[in-house]
Amino acid sequence: MLEATGSGKIGKVQVFTSTNGGHGPEQMAEMALNKIMQINESTPSPIKEQALAFRNDIKRILVYYMSKMAQSERTTIWALMKKQGHDDIAEIIRRL
Amino acid sequence: MAINQAMCGSYKKEITAGIHFWMSHSRTGASSIAADTFKIAMFTSSRTDANEDLTAYTATNEVTGTAYSAGGAALASVTLGLADNSGSTPTAFLDFADTTWSTSTISSARCAMIYNSTLSTAGTGGDVNHSAYPTVCVLDFGGDKSSSAGDFTIQYPANDANNALIRLA
Repeated sequence: MLEATGSGKIGKVQVFTSTNGGHGPEQMAEMALNKIMQINESTPSPIKEQALAFRNDIKRILVYYMSKMAQSERTTIWALMKKQGHDDIAEIIRRL
Repeated sequence: MAINQAMCGSYKKEITAGIHFWMSHSRTGASSIAADTFKIAMFTSSRTDANEDLTAYTATNEVTGTAYSAGGAALASVTLGLADNSGSTPTAFLDFADTTWSTSTISSARCAMIYNSTLSTAGTGGDVNHSAYPTVCVLDFGGDKSSSAGDFTIQYPANDANNALIRLA
């Protein structure tokens, strides 16, 4: 018997939430990694462990530079506030 | 019935009948037919009909909160790809930009549904018809998710034939 078969599939979403602030560097790094690499559940153990180790190395780098990015962005906002004469707000931002 | 992540049965019929337009496209000649707008809306665990049998978006048990509007958010940057999956089966797949409700306070979001918001009125005159705001799929978050004076982000999976959110293989 000849059949034309097919299937519709729905992928898995990840939900990230935050409280009293935006997403932190850890969450952003996790989001980026989810797009960069996927490790299949059925991957043989030694390969899976190597892949997980590589993922963790990449994550450490991403977290570091995303933290730097956030810090740099605060500097930009601090400079803008100072320029506009809002020294008090600038100081609050600098202390974040 | 319980909340269950699935492609809705009605969507399978409607997509085969050509009711949903994810992308602009043409049929014979150069004129282009515009894409529909699709939205994602979130619901609490009380929305127990959120499963493969769901046919339409309604606001019943939809989450409420700061920075969240009833009906949810439009899916942005829709792309449609075609590639072989790991089983060498040609697979069409859809991807979107992640959805974020910024500076939001949203409590107890347990699931979401994607639906066609362009089709706001039921189609009744053809061989194949559809409900108002026909659904595409239900997404199960696996637990209640909340934001408080923060960001609420739904991240869609990698845009490929094995992982993308909506795949036809």
